[in-house]
Amino acid sequence: MQRDLLEQQLSRKELQDLRNKRTGLLIFQISWIMVFVCLVVVNWQLRFSSASWPPPGVEKLPMLLPSIATGLLLVSALLARWATQAIKENRTDPFLTQWRIAIGLGAAFVVIMAFEWITLPYSKTYSDVFRTMTGFHIIHALAIGAFMINVYQGARAGKYGQTNFWPVEGATSLWYFVVVAWILFYVVLYWI
Amino acid sequence: MASITAPLGQAQTTAPGLKVSDFFRWSVDHKIIGIQYMATAIFFFIVGGALAMLIRWELLTPNLDLMQNGEQYNTLFSIHATVMIFLWIIPMFAGFGNYLVPLMLGAKDMAFPWLNAFAFWLIPPAGILLLLGWFVGPAQAGWTSYPPLSTLYSGDGQTLWAMSLHLLGISSILGAINFIVTIKNMRPEGMGYWQMPLFVWAILATSIIVVLATPFLAGALTLLILDRVAGTSFFNPANGGDALLWQNVFWFYSHPAVYIMVLPGMGIISEILSIHARKPIFGYRAIALSSMAIALVGFTVWAHHMFTSLTPELRIPFMVTSMIIAVPTGIKVFSWLGTLWGGKIRFTSAMLFGLGFLSMFVIGGISGVMLGSVPVDIHLHDTYFVVSHLHFVLYGGSVFAIFGGIYHWFPKMFGRRLNERLGKLHFALTYLGFFFTFFPQHIAGLQGMPRRVAVYAPEFQQINMIISIASFVLGIATFVLIYNIIVTLIAGKRVGANPWRALTLEWATSSPPPAYNFVGDPVPFEDPYGYGTEESVAYLDALEKRFPPPVDAEGTLTRAPQSGD
Repeated sequence: MQRDLLEQQLSRKELQDLRNKRTGLLIFQISWIMVFVCLVVVNWQLRFSSASWPPPGVEKLPMLLPSIATGLLLVSALLARWATQAIKENRTDPFLTQWRIAIGLGAAFVVIMAFEWITLPYSKTYSDVFRTMTGFHIIHALAIGAFMINVYQGARAGKYGQTNFWPVEGATSLWYFVVVAWILFYVVLYWI
Repeated sequence: MASITAPLGQAQTTAPGLKVSDFFRWSVDHKIIGIQYMATAIFFFIVGGALAMLIRWELLTPNLDLMQNGEQYNTLFSIHATVMIFLWIIPMFAGFGNYLVPLMLGAKDMAFPWLNAFAFWLIPPAGILLLLGWFVGPAQAGWTSYPPLSTLYSGDGQTLWAMSLHLLGISSILGAINFIVTIKNMRPEGMGYWQMPLFVWAILATSIIVVLATPFLAGALTLLILDRVAGTSFFNPANGGDALLWQNVFWFYSHPAVYIMVLPGMGIISEILSIHARKPIFGYRAIALSSMAIALVGFTVWAHHMFTSLTPELRIPFMVTSMIIAVPTGIKVFSWLGTLWGGKIRFTSAMLFGLGFLSMFVIGGISGVMLGSVPVDIHLHDTYFVVSHLHFVLYGGSVFAIFGGIYHWFPKMFGRRLNERLGKLHFALTYLGFFFTFFPQHIAGLQGMPRRVAVYAPEFQQINMIISIASFVLGIATFVLIYNIIVTLIAGKRVGANPWRALTLEWATSSPPPAYNFVGDPVPFEDPYGYGTEESVAYLDALEKRFPPPVDAEGTLTRAPQSGD
């Protein structure tokens, strides 16, 4: 239904642009996730080339706080999804509420992981690889979070609606990317 | 199927009226960006070539003469290789891709014009960053930058090197995303994937490799920079790191990267051979799919660069995959030979470089198969045989294809045709200079001359003398091309829109094309390589009526063989 509406309201060039942006963002995500895969490979090679992992005398990473943070991030992504649906149906107020909470939960995730990053004691490559992976991820969460705040301000000014929702959709897709990348790291760092 | 419909639109060939200064400004027109890429790449080709000349000068005698010490020599070959790979071949092909892909697809521009310009403008700062290394203690670890050479021994220039490559990698990724989206979404009606020109196929395969492999380079470089400036120890075994970690991650990018550097060249060759032999391409689907096969298998062979540091049981699988990759490459070579077979070959400069590519690339491919086999590689590892192999595929392959592409598409870009006589001189000097520079290196390598040394055993002096003299000829040959380009731009002969009488869509508009490429939506000819049929002749004649050649041009230049094309 939404597709029909777009085809009525947008010009041929605008439709083409929207299609290009969607494909482009998808390919960017497939591409950039490979950096995260690369860091997983690095983690594994270091792990399998050392006699014990974590090294002797070093405690395993604590699980509780990161698991809570992961839960918050998942809820945040779900809210961002609902918010995107709301804006595509021109319901700006529910969008603003959900989007605000999504950003807040994302911020809580970043705070928790930054705490983990700072408090982990140095243990050579074991902490090096943890800090590199989580740090790299936090940088992405911050950059995309900043974009989400920007989108929030735009939405408050009434810039987005039924046919003009690309920044919202794009921000949500990028936020999914943050979630997928994190799940990858979370499983590798804490579970496997 | 609108097989004999010439493209819609006005017959008017309005020259865009570009000034030289337009090429030094921010522009989102893919044609300007394409030329910006190429001009930048040629500049760095001269820089890298000058470094190569210094290398060969140093190697004229077995002792140090030009350089004060081995470290200076290390810097020379490190920067030479980095410049040639990342600032010449890759951006040059990006330039061809930018200029040609939208035109070949009948599109008005790339999918993301702004992003396209942004990707280009990352390159000049990256090049400057790399060369600035000379002032802070340059990189000395070779273009492969193995730790601990790159972590403990090199100067701060190594950090700049890594940052520069980071920028270039991001530029490549953004460019590749742009190509994939353009090819997927912006083909005209009537052009499925199987009607695309083979150059577009090659760019598609290349872009897929870039998108999947280059992020690994980004990861590896990040770790290298962290090790150098942030005190981590990923590559330092003393602190639990692993020196082989770099090799694994780096080659997982860099082996696919050699296909990034050669697949577009193969695409160019497919265009040139078919058009200048006036024959349909032999095995269109085989060539298109073998590009994809090379892209795919290319991800499984990286450890053949590490045979000497690999455990024996891992060597065999990587040897097998390395041998397998010769199969799709062979399919291409035989298809090209099949294309030439019985064709009406016109020995233009472009065609000469195409044939030069075929002969030299096959030699490089065969030495590649030799190096792919473990026992031979263990013997030849780090000798001049490897240097010879890689130059045969990168110079005899990629650079010959680039030269052919320049002669072939120069009339498209500037409406003037490069001087053929100078072109043939360029080809003769390049072909001979190239062969006698790099072929003897096989022999030096087989006899045990190690690579990356400034001081070598005296018995290799004679062969190095031959190599160096030939390399100076090769260096001079490039200036014949540069001279030809400059002279042609000023006073070259104007030609019509389609001097080679080619069927692909980039020729179905004026040369150079107007700002948005086509007036109206162009209709592609049903088979981009359907030469020799009556429909194709009718199509080409109709095209010529719409875009008539300039009055002062001689018929022989604008009009290819009158019948049977």
